[in-house]
Parts: sequence; structure tokens; C-alpha cells
Amino acid sequence: MDSFLASCWYNAATMRSLLRILLVFLLLGSEVQAEAQGIIVRQAMVYDDASIAASSVGKIPAGVSVTLFKRNGGWQEIYSEERSIIGWVRSYQVRAGEYNNSLVNSEQEDDRGFLSGLAAFSRKASGFFTQDSGVTSSGTATIGVRGLSEVEINSAEADFEELKKMDGYASNGKRMKRFTRAGELKAYKVPYISGAKK
Amino acid sequence: MSVYSLRAILIPCLWFAVLMAPVVNAFDLSDLKKQFEESSEEFSESLKTLDQVRGTVSTDDEVEIGANITSGLLGAAPLVADENLQRYVNDVGFWVAAQSKRAQLPWRFGVIQSDGINAFAAPGGYVVITLGLYQLLENEAQLAGVLAHEISHVVRKHHLKALQETMQREIWSDLTVTVVDDKKERKAMRMLISSGLQLYTTGLDRKYEYEADLRAVVLAARAGYDPYAFLDVLTTIDSINPNAAELTVMMNTHPPTADRLDTLARKMDGRLDSYAPGVDNAGRFRQVAAVP
Repeated sequence: MDSFLASCWYNAATMRSLLRILLVFLLLGSEVQAEAQGIIVRQAMVYDDASIAASSVGKIPAGVSVTLFKRNGGWQEIYSEERSIIGWVRSYQVRAGEYNNSLVNSEQEDDRGFLSGLAAFSRKASGFFTQDSGVTSSGTATIGVRGLSEVEINSAEADFEELKKMDGYASNGKRMKRFTRAGELKAYKVPYISGAKK
Repeated sequence: MSVYSLRAILIPCLWFAVLMAPVVNAFDLSDLKKQFEESSEEFSESLKTLDQVRGTVSTDDEVEIGANITSGLLGAAPLVADENLQRYVNDVGFWVAAQSKRAQLPWRFGVIQSDGINAFAAPGGYVVITLGLYQLLENEAQLAGVLAHEISHVVRKHHLKALQETMQREIWSDLTVTVVDDKKERKAMRMLISSGLQLYTTGLDRKYEYEADLRAVVLAARAGYDPYAFLDVLTTIDSINPNAAELTVMMNTHPPTADRLDTLARKMDGRLDSYAPGVDNAGRFRQVAAVP
């Protein structure tokens, strides 16, 4: 009897510690998931804050894998294990997703290394492109793309029925009010940029 | 009335408005000065446009020309049969276009059934985006950026100018002046559709593309969206193999995407950073995008 009780107590204690370990794993798991992986797609200056006024902490060339943290406006916080740099880069200098080497190898026409591999990965993963992409080395043929090859555009017959449909979907002032309210959108006064340096 | 006499009348009027406004409304003078500077900038842009187009095309004509070219494009690829999606894209586009100086145009937006990654604009307020490009987007701010680029082509009359340059003068006048001869008008319209469609495969002057990029981020910021979302779209496109068939038409008609990104980032020069925390409405975008 004693040994039975002892084994029950032992089992309950084991279960409790197992649950505790499981809980820690779950928490850690979600923590890991929150940090997405990314890749630097254009040479990036890394700053210690999300501003060009902040001091620079280094430079990372294109192709380096990074861990992505917060995004703040046009800035992305990153960590590069390879370069031992943590800081902020411009959001367009980094792209979410991982470099998949096998996909690059499968793209014979690829002359841009990891970028095309990444693209092939994201396109295949997305499942948007269900048809053969018809990749060409000359970049002039568009065989395999459903609708809108150069030939199709140039030889199209006008379709006024579709145009009428398009007219029917148009928005108006009333819809705009509802749409902006629901999306919490507000208009700002922003002057056009001339392109000249400040 | 010539452009110069128009300028001579309107500039004193604007100054009069600036001087009188503090009396009529108790506005802050510095605000008014800013408003005047902004309206002067818009005004001189309008004059430039007027100079270039020489008033030969009325807005009604422009809309009709755009409608015909768009019907040709829709003949090549029809609209995606999804009313929710079409209405949503129209809502986003209409709101962005409302931030431009041509808010009054009858703006029409559509998503067409094509795997190609591209977007098109036609005179008079017609904007079309392919399903292939739409499905690359991640949120409403990115959609707004793409539409803002096309809206900018319409606002600046880029296609209209290109058509005027390429089409024969007499055909052009048959289109814009009421023609008694129906047959002649039909022939001119057919030629116009053909030239308009050809423009989609040969492309505009590349400087117009850079201009539309720079205006797109400003329009997006005006509409309350994160202007950097448009750069994210370009980054996505730049990461796709440029030889992919889906990109052929876009690559043949636009400057290299990396150049567009570099130029845009350089010209923005941090000016729009304070608008970067703008809305992206990823939630409602995903709801609609999940439909097709």
C-alpha cells in the first residue's frame, strides 16, 4: 500500500515537472517564432536607433541572413550573428524569409544568386503561380503567363462589357467616408518632393 | 486665353487671397504663407501641364480616351470575378486619388485576371492592377502605394502626352474635335486603342516612372498610409528573378527595380519618416485578399 501511494506521489510529481518543462518549451517556442528570419537585400548601414540622426554601428552587405525584431516606420531592427551587429536598417534593405539554397540550384537561369532563390522560394511557397512560369533567358517571351503577354496586349479586342462592370464598382464620397472611418485613415498635408537634397 | 494671361490674372488673385484672408478669417499668417506656397507649387505645376498639353484635350475627351484604352486592356485580360475585391480596390484607390489635385476625375480601379506582375493607368482616371501583383502584396498600405504610382501617371497626364507624341496629328484632332464623319471617328478611336495598348508594352519615358514613384510615396503619406510600404513592394519585386515570365512586360517598360528603389530612397532622404508609422490595415487587406 505504502509503495502504491509512493508510486502515485512519484508519478504525480513526475507529471508536474514534465508539464513545467513542456510549458517552458511552449513559451520558448512562441518566443522563437516571434523573431522572424530575414535577409539583407541591399548593402545596409546599421544604426543604433531608428533614425539617420542616430550613430552608425556598422555596415552589412547584401546576402547576409539576419534575425528580424521590431519594425518602426521605415526602419527594421535586426541582428546579424555573422557580423555580430544589432541595430536598425532601412526596411527596404531587408526582406523577410530565408535563403533556400536548393531552390537557387534548381533555377538554372538564375544569375542573381540568393535573390532569385529567395523569390523562387516565396513564389513557390505562396502557391500563387500555378502555371509554368516559362522563364526565358532573353526576357522577351512570355509564354506560360495567363493573360497579358505582349502579343495578347497588342492584339486585344476592346471589351466594353467589362468596362461597364468596372464602372459599376467605382467608389464615391459616401463609401469613402465609411471606408476611412473603418480603417482609421486620416488625411495629412504633405508637399510633393522635388528631388533636391535638403 | 493664353497661359501667360491666365498666370497674370491668377497670381494677383492668390496674393489678394493671402492678404485678405487674415481679415476674413482669423488664421495664423504663417499657416497662410505655407498654404500659399503649396498652392503656388500646385499652380505652377498645373501651368506646366497646361503648357505641355496646350489645352487640346478636355477632361471629357481624356476620360473617353482612357475608357477606350482600358476596354482594350480588359479585352486582353478580364476583371477578376469578385465584387468584394473590386470594390475594396476602388475604395483604396478613390481615397488615395482624393489626395491629388485631380480628385474630381471619375476614378475607376480594377483587378484583372493575369499572372503577370504589373499595373496600368489610362488617361481620365482608369487604373488596373494584375492579380499577380495584387497577390504579392501584404497589406493595404502596399496596395495604396501601387495605386498611387498609377494615379500619379494619370494626374501628370503621362500617357496622354506619350499618345500625343506618337499618334499622327490628324488622327489626334479627329479624336478631340467632334467629327461629323462617324467612320472617320471610329477609325481614329481604333488607332487610339491600338496606340494606347502598344504603350503598355513599350513603356513610358523612364523619367515618368521615377516621377510617379516619388509622387506615389507622397500621395500614400497624404492618405495616412506608411509611405515606405511602396518601397516594400519594390523590394519584393526586386527579389524575383527578372527573367521570370510574370515580370517580362514590367521589366521591359520600367527602369530596373533596384535603380527605382535607390533613386526613390535617395530622393525621399528621410523627409517622409514622420509619416512612416501610418496605417497599413493588414487585417482587412487579408480578409479581402483571401477571397480569390
